[in-house]
Amino acid sequence: MKIKLMSALILALLLVCAPMFAHHGTSVTYQVDKTISLSGTVTEFSFSYPHPQLYFDVKDADGKVTHWGTEWGPTPLMLKNMNVGWTRDSIKPGDHVDVVCNPHKLATATACLMKELTVNGTKMKLGGGGNNKKEE
Amino acid sequence: MRLFGIFAAATAFAMIAVAQAPAPKAAPAKAAPAAAPFNPKDLTGVYHRQSPFQTYSNVPGGANELQAFILGQAKAPQKLNQPTEEAPFTAAGQAAFDKNIPSYGRRIAAPRIGNDPQGMCDPWGVPRMLNGQVAGPHSTLEIVVTPGRTFMFSAWHHDYRIVYTDGRKLPKMDEAEPKWNGYSVGAWEGNTFVVKSLGFDARTWLDHNGYPHSEEMQLEERYHKTDANTLEMDEVIIDPMYYSKPFKSDHKIWKLVKDWDKLWDEQIYCVPSEEFKFNSLIRDGNVGKQ
Repeated sequence: MKIKLMSALILALLLVCAPMFAHHGTSVTYQVDKTISLSGTVTEFSFSYPHPQLYFDVKDADGKVTHWGTEWGPTPLMLKNMNVGWTRDSIKPGDHVDVVCNPHKLATATACLMKELTVNGTKMKLGGGGNNKKEE
Repeated sequence: MRLFGIFAAATAFAMIAVAQAPAPKAAPAKAAPAAAPFNPKDLTGVYHRQSPFQTYSNVPGGANELQAFILGQAKAPQKLNQPTEEAPFTAAGQAAFDKNIPSYGRRIAAPRIGNDPQGMCDPWGVPRMLNGQVAGPHSTLEIVVTPGRTFMFSAWHHDYRIVYTDGRKLPKMDEAEPKWNGYSVGAWEGNTFVVKSLGFDARTWLDHNGYPHSEEMQLEERYHKTDANTLEMDEVIIDPMYYSKPFKSDHKIWKLVKDWDKLWDEQIYCVPSEEFKFNSLIRDGNVGKQ
């Protein structure tokens, strides 16, 4: 019971505090009222501080490849404490990803803030402003 | 009256019956842990910030809680109605403030066009270490008291400062070599722990909002425990070069965190190799560029 209560307390703290965990400038770097959808192939998954990053190549209809990067809001240990159900080894180069994210304010930047992530057809639970609901 | 008589008789009967009944076999009594008496001078512990975050003082738009409102992403919070006071800048102080471009507060700018020292992983220094604490369980303040020295650890940036309590005096200003965390001595005045410091490196900011200080800054912190779980603190800065009168902080409040060591030890260093890659590729939007 004590563990359950403690877990609930941690979850409550994380939910309440999530917007403030963000690294400096998150809210002015991205267009947080817009989302874009991207599909591509993972080139690097950096499960590191200050925020985990996923790098991937997106190929358009003409075969042109654009390199993208996206970041998570929470830190690695926060994601672990949110019990997202995946680890630093869960995403590998070559994996196919579908990403929904907030676009960068710089029109030419191919970087964005992660909101939804599907890896090889499996939707990943995110933390801190993304998709936190348990996936079926 | 008659009802009262019946009630009294019934109560008396019940008391006699209970007194005459054989005593149940009592389980071995578990001794409840005796609560330690409140010691207002016991500062040791891990503390979680309760008062506004990331600001030195209650300047307009200072607290991080106002950020979403400043950006038009949320309605005005309750805190907006609280009185605020602008810093008493001198002309030089205002100029120094204008040069500092933060990624927080009412002057928020994207990091790529700002100059917050933490973007280079420079130390926060004192007092930003005390004021910059973000919300959440990975950003606590820990105080450890030892004979002659008191240590204050900032979980965020994994940094600490030392307060000497062995009776030594502060050096004179012109004798103190400027350092990131300055030079601090502490002593008790009644139940208030008073820390006086000088000798600060002027490259640090007072908080996330870019409030500056000169090398002439003198800082006084006054810590006071109001109960076993609550630590409060007020700061005041005397820095005639940048502030025309003593510049007071808002009233800081922390709550003691229990069993915290079992839950979090995130060790958030600002690691230049990680920070620069993240800032350049993601935040500055250079990913994909040759």
